Amino acid sequence: MRYTSFTPYDFVLLAQGLGVSLALFLATSLIGLVIGTIWAVIRFYRVPVLTPFIAFLAELLKNSPVLVQLFLVFFGLPALLKINVTPVEAAVITLSGNTAAFIYVIAVSAIESIGRDQIESARVFGLSRWQVLHHIIAPQAMAFAVGPLTGLLVNQLQVTSLISVIGVVDLTKIGNILNLRTLKPFIVWTIVGGLYYVTAKLVALGGAMLEKRLRAHTAWKGL
Amino acid sequence: MPFDVTILAPHVPFLLKGALLTAEACALALVGSLIIGLLVAALRTSSSPLLSRAAFVYVDLFRNIPFIVQLFFFFYGLPEIGIYVDAFTTGVIALSIAGGAFSSDVIRSGILAIDTGIIEAAEVSGLSKPVIFRKIVMPIALRTSIRPLGSVFINLVLTSSILSTITLNELTGSAKIVASDTFRPFEVYAVLLIAYASLTYLVSLAIGVLHRRLNRDRMPEVA
Repeated sequence: MRYTSFTPYDFVLLAQGLGVSLALFLATSLIGLVIGTIWAVIRFYRVPVLTPFIAFLAELLKNSPVLVQLFLVFFGLPALLKINVTPVEAAVITLSGNTAAFIYVIAVSAIESIGRDQIESARVFGLSRWQVLHHIIAPQAMAFAVGPLTGLLVNQLQVTSLISVIGVVDLTKIGNILNLRTLKPFIVWTIVGGLYYVTAKLVALGGAMLEKRLRAHTAWKGL
Repeated sequence: MPFDVTILAPHVPFLLKGALLTAEACALALVGSLIIGLLVAALRTSSSPLLSRAAFVYVDLFRNIPFIVQLFFFFYGLPEIGIYVDAFTTGVIALSIAGGAFSSDVIRSGILAIDTGIIEAAEVSGLSKPVIFRKIVMPIALRTSIRPLGSVFINLVLTSSILSTITLNELTGSAKIVASDTFRPFEVYAVLLIAYASLTYLVSLAIGVLHRRLNRDRMPEVA
């Protein structure tokens, strides 16, 4: 026997799926933010072998489909290294790496957006390279980066939908399950799409508010 | 199991067939998304508030909903309303619609960047609105936005890997089959990753050449 109509329990399922999507989105964005920033700092210090390697890795991650990266981690790694990788682990590894590559690009351009004269005068005052990064570059670079970062995060939220393909029960997977049970694709996918849309809008709104706060010191205060 | 790419040799023709299908889908979707993008950009920059509003809603929706959700919407939804098309056509339609939203944004900024003096001069010369759009606005907007259009196209190529989820055996779909035939998923997907990355790299090089060729007469300010 199969329930072809919608039941109240479907709302619980959708909420659960949204929760999984959101949790993975937040976790991988955070990990990606940390890794991508570390990569950018390595570039800032011009570490010999590491810098070109990271540049190459970031290019590779940016220029290949996330789906293929997912398959490589989920199907490829276990076969090569004889280890067990669960769908959630594969999703976290892939999405974090992918996000890190894009954040690396944003962080590098944010660091480069700060005028040379500021860095030079700070160095003249005797600040170390780390102090320059910490006190001069980081606060300004953050304000610069929030805009592109918001755009990236909205995009990465949509990328999380791909993990349904390797069996993570996220919002898209729930949509698939409901679609196969009720056979009402228009209703199901409209609801799923609507949930993604609202979430993306909330992320964009949060980014805009944060940007306003970080840029408060340069805002026009009136005469 | 050591890393050994040579076992893929007998499967190369099969993978190339998949790559050809990817190329076909991308070429058709490129044309489709350019046509949709031009139309929507024209609507968004039109003086009618209703039309520009409608175009904005279209762009906003298709940019903020994951492509895989859009794809499932069309793949499961179209038969529901009596339109029976194969997976390839569905994929091309979905890619064109999503790509159209992204390219319309790019073309729109190309249109907005046009010096208003040029359009005023055309109006004074007595050209009708459609002629101004076709002969003056479109050529200028398209050639200045070649580079961002190129990155939309590269994204389109990467996104086309998602078509493998609706039973279409393009490059990623064929790689999936080869991976399960050979039991060497790591080799298959690693090669696939590098193939996609080099493919998109070549595309970006070609776009750079095209951009310089189309804008050769205005190099100083564009370059």
